[in-house]
Amino acid sequence: MKTDLQDWPERSRELSQLLARAGLGDRAAFARFYEMTSGHLYAVVLRIQRDRASAEDLLQEVYVSVWKAAASFDAARSQPLTWLTSIARNRAIDSLRRQQAQPQTDSLSRDDEDERPDPAEALADEAPGPLALLSRASDARELSSCMERLSAAQRQSVALAFFDGLSHAEVAEQLREPLGTVKSWVRRALMSLKSCLERGVLRDADHPHSEA
Amino acid sequence: MDYGRPSLADALAAEYVAGSLRGPARRRFEALLPGHPALQAAVRGWQARLMPLTAAMPPEPPPPEVWRKIEERLWPQPAASSLAATSGTADGLVWWRRLGVWRGLSAFATLAAVGFAVLLASPAPVLPPVVIVLQGTGEGQAATSSFVASVSGDGRALVTRPLVPVSLQDDRVLELWSVPPVGNPRSLGLISASGLTVLPRDRLPATLLRGGTAALAVSVEPPGGSPTGVPTGPVVFAGKLVL
Repeated sequence: MKTDLQDWPERSRELSQLLARAGLGDRAAFARFYEMTSGHLYAVVLRIQRDRASAEDLLQEVYVSVWKAAASFDAARSQPLTWLTSIARNRAIDSLRRQQAQPQTDSLSRDDEDERPDPAEALADEAPGPLALLSRASDARELSSCMERLSAAQRQSVALAFFDGLSHAEVAEQLREPLGTVKSWVRRALMSLKSCLERGVLRDADHPHSEA
Repeated sequence: MDYGRPSLADALAAEYVAGSLRGPARRRFEALLPGHPALQAAVRGWQARLMPLTAAMPPEPPPPEVWRKIEERLWPQPAASSLAATSGTADGLVWWRRLGVWRGLSAFATLAAVGFAVLLASPAPVLPPVVIVLQGTGEGQAATSSFVASVSGDGRALVTRPLVPVSLQDDRVLELWSVPPVGNPRSLGLISASGLTVLPRDRLPATLLRGGTAALAVSVEPPGGSPTGVPTGPVVFAGKLVL
């Protein structure tokens, strides 16, 4: 399955179709929708909620609600993959919140008995780190030039927050930087990303490529 | 905090979507969202910007029991795995599944504008009428045009009208179909490619608005309509019924 950024809109067209059919009660379409998206969604969720059992439950919840909401999905407002990924990420972040509400020793060693690397080790692990993911995503679009204007630590802040679902405090802890500094890095990185993408959109508008 | 300030709303939406807005601030933000269209728009903007970044993540297939559990929860009865049925054909919806029926979803704005015009043309309804936008399924001009169908609230009158006249070969006509959730589409009759058509009431299924029709579709047929009772020509417009 291709997961390139350029595929996002292309895959979305097919997914919108499947969702519309699912909205009419078509189970086979929903099964296909699951087949096409669950690998991506599980990766996104697992990165934030590292406990596999919780991540699986969460994935289940997401698809159950997607089936129920399929009829009301509005393709004019958002692309299905964007919609789906947002739902899953929100659930994953909420599940961290619930977890944190329970007594816990230390966020960096929470899966001792587990094979999963802790967030700090994940950076050295063979799975791409948040920064690698960000730069991979940047390759696909012209984000890199904008992102380059930020320091590595600034880039890493936003990547840790976004991909790994770390809070400002956790990012600060991991990077050993003051909380306020990390907050402003994340904010600046996001705004830079926005203006960069907006320039990209303007450029695309100057050189439109036909779309069926 | 003044969430109405656009720059603040945008900054908060960014942090919310990026996931770095946490704890009570996140909960507050979520509680505010339903009442703030501007905030919602900012969130959608950031979702559109940031979510594609996740495409860089290598997919990780979940264990098979996840799908099994989803099926169990959604369809508790003896559920033959519908994964196997993905390419099934024994279903009346098959032809219509291939169509871009979903595109009807993208026409809400047009719907609002045109819906009123059609509404005025239909017989005085007791219940509010149901308006269905049938979006073009083809390429080029056909893909961007659409049909509007208005069904009176009691389901006993149906009026169709193209947004712009549809150009057809001289020896072709348009036929309107009711697509049931299961089974073969049923012809509702021929409709005008250029103006208003009021469908004969005896052609309408009694259950039109009571679950008997999942969608409406328009196909191109030889003069007199489909000779076989099911659509033979290409389906050029389709839209699902949202009740």
